[in-house]
Amino acid sequence: MLSLNTLRREWLSNPRGDILAGIVVALALIPEAIGFSIIAGVDPKVGLYASFSIAVICALTGGRPGMISAATAAIAVLVVPLVREHGVEYLFAATILMGILQVIAGFLRLDLLMQFVSRSVVTGFVNALAILIFIAQIPQLVDVTWITYPMVAGGLAIIYLFPYITKAVPSPLVAIVVLTGLALALGWEVNTVGDMGQLPSAPPHFFIPNVPFTLETLQIIFPYSLTMAAVGLLESMMTAQIVDDLTDTPSDKAQESKAQGLANFVTGFFGGMGGCAMIGQSVINVKSGGSTRLSTFVAGTFLLFLIVVLGPFVSQIPMPSLVAVMIMVSIGTFSWKSIRDLRVHPWQSSVVMVGTVVVVVWTHDLAQGVAAGVILSGLFFASKVRGLFQVTSALSSDGRTRTYHVSGEVFFASTERFSEAFDFKEVLDRVVIDVSKAHFWDISAVGILDKAILKFRREGASVDVIGLNEKSAMMVSRFAVHDKEGADNAAPGH
Amino acid sequence: MKHILASIAASPYAARVCNLAAWSAKRLEASVELLHVIQRSNAAAQRKDLSGAIGLGVKSSLLEELTQLDEAEGKLAIERGRVLLDSAKGHVEGLGVTDLQITHRHGGIVETITEREADADLIVIGKRGASSDFAKGHIGSKVERVVRASSKPVVVCSSRGPDLATSDPSLVVVAFDGGAASKAALSFAAGSALFAGIPLQVVIAGGDDARHRKLAEDAKGILAGEERAGEVVLKDGAPDAVIGTTMKENPDGFLVMGAYGHSPLRTLIVGSTTTAMIRTVHAPVLLMRP
Repeated sequence: MLSLNTLRREWLSNPRGDILAGIVVALALIPEAIGFSIIAGVDPKVGLYASFSIAVICALTGGRPGMISAATAAIAVLVVPLVREHGVEYLFAATILMGILQVIAGFLRLDLLMQFVSRSVVTGFVNALAILIFIAQIPQLVDVTWITYPMVAGGLAIIYLFPYITKAVPSPLVAIVVLTGLALALGWEVNTVGDMGQLPSAPPHFFIPNVPFTLETLQIIFPYSLTMAAVGLLESMMTAQIVDDLTDTPSDKAQESKAQGLANFVTGFFGGMGGCAMIGQSVINVKSGGSTRLSTFVAGTFLLFLIVVLGPFVSQIPMPSLVAVMIMVSIGTFSWKSIRDLRVHPWQSSVVMVGTVVVVVWTHDLAQGVAAGVILSGLFFASKVRGLFQVTSALSSDGRTRTYHVSGEVFFASTERFSEAFDFKEVLDRVVIDVSKAHFWDISAVGILDKAILKFRREGASVDVIGLNEKSAMMVSRFAVHDKEGADNAAPGH
Repeated sequence: MKHILASIAASPYAARVCNLAAWSAKRLEASVELLHVIQRSNAAAQRKDLSGAIGLGVKSSLLEELTQLDEAEGKLAIERGRVLLDSAKGHVEGLGVTDLQITHRHGGIVETITEREADADLIVIGKRGASSDFAKGHIGSKVERVVRASSKPVVVCSSRGPDLATSDPSLVVVAFDGGAASKAALSFAAGSALFAGIPLQVVIAGGDDARHRKLAEDAKGILAGEERAGEVVLKDGAPDAVIGTTMKENPDGFLVMGAYGHSPLRTLIVGSTTTAMIRTVHAPVLLMRP
């Protein structure tokens, strides 16, 4: 709800900290936006425009104040084939469609699906993302002059050691400035940002992507847009959760989905690539004292100011210094605790985490990794819950009636064990199945109860089922056949 | 049973807020809830770390560090809040209030008051909180926000005015401009047990012309409707000047008025009579939203 109170809290509760943090983030966004453009195979300006536009729109409309959204590695790695085969105009069109899909997802409350993404999958996602960012730096590290390697190492040294001298200046910026100065002064032969493609010289302007408006175009971009939308929302929801935890404040995830969509939709028309929330940058923001929309807004606008005003300087930046910054982001994104936890966590969790990472690194698609992780954790869960179920029985004194007591959770994964628990070959007049302590969750469970009853009847016993709880009873009355007419003739299992 | 929500902070107004809450509780036969809100400062901003470098395990170590900072500060704030609430409780009980409850919450003051006002009939706050600086003539930024956000009558306590611990106000002044909020304010002042038996004066800022005489008739109508005796006076001048003078002439008066008839945007541009009034008047002010 838009009220003066909310506006004040979300924009002006901490202006000094927010502006400083926004500037720090903007300085770190430049190398990242350039880096991700290079990953995607487009001019640096595509990533820089995107970062400006997405950051500003998410600052104004997002559901998680203090979160930084911009052009991201997760999206960049997805669009490589699209750009290579069809060109950058198709990327803009795909970004617009991605935005539309995300807005729809926001209205459908698909953010609630995040509840089914377990912690292990999230950890796997984050680690995979860090690995992707690192892998993306490799092209800058092979077939280059030897001076590249000491420069990267020097850059990392400055980034991590300079804070011990002062924390008043962003150390990645110091690394970039020092390395650029040294490279220019000493005439080192290294790639510079200017070699990577066109940098922006003016603020972005509106245009319609130059693609034919045909069904064929839609067929090309739709699969990309769908994956981009999914990956973008996944990373945004996870980042929002991280920022929620760090700042101990709530967020509106549905609103964030819509804002991400709007940001991508608009960004496509301004010549930017798709983006989403950034885990590394959002952590930098919170760490630097940013917590409201103002810091995100400052990050976006200051970024544009820097690249338009300092464009000539930016093109002189040697690539090794950017590689150092990206390696820092990769290290900061990776969950190192998860490596230590591999030994202490249940093996299923570790399999889910590692499985997610492997699928992502294999496919370069975070969405597929998350899908694999969710399926794995679902299977593991089902196999664990399968054990929460048991059958005991007692024979009456005359030896003609046996009462089976079923307790626990019965569902599709427990059906085999369920039928094994009954002895159908025992000669009985009457069988009582007491299910008062059991819950039948799905039609597989009802089906197997049905099957057991029919089997007993075929052996000539009469069967009574007692104690169906309300929900189970409903399932049974809707889907079971044993209580319907002609049940004895019906083949079980149909 | 009526319920009074009194918000106290570690400011010089806390004693006044307690006095007013106790006085109102006795008049309305109401219970009192003393509320103290612990506001958390931005721990990340205090670290003053603009290095922008993120290294091994930054997410978990940052979370731990922020938690520690907040924890240390939180414990201190809780202690301070308890001391404040305990002494306020003793004070209010000393004034003869028996049905007393204390509430200690984390969060924003405005948000917490808005949350808890549902079962309150009257809200009492100080003119300034602990977080505001003491530049003379300012009102706490939160006062306006509380009044705007609240749907209940809000009393803003000043550092001067009648000493309600020992006596009643000498006069209830109702500022009346014919707007919905001020009509609600007049009805409340005339009808509520809060001001029963205290002389009441309705002040209309404006010259002796047809429009203002009509306003005076409206005011008399409302008084008659509530069967309340009271004087209606027209005084020429700008509303804040007229009311300011009236309150100065009656240092033990109690001001009642409608609040914030205009949108926040308009207030931002042309300023607000309500804010000006709270700022200049050294008396308790009861504010009614329409």
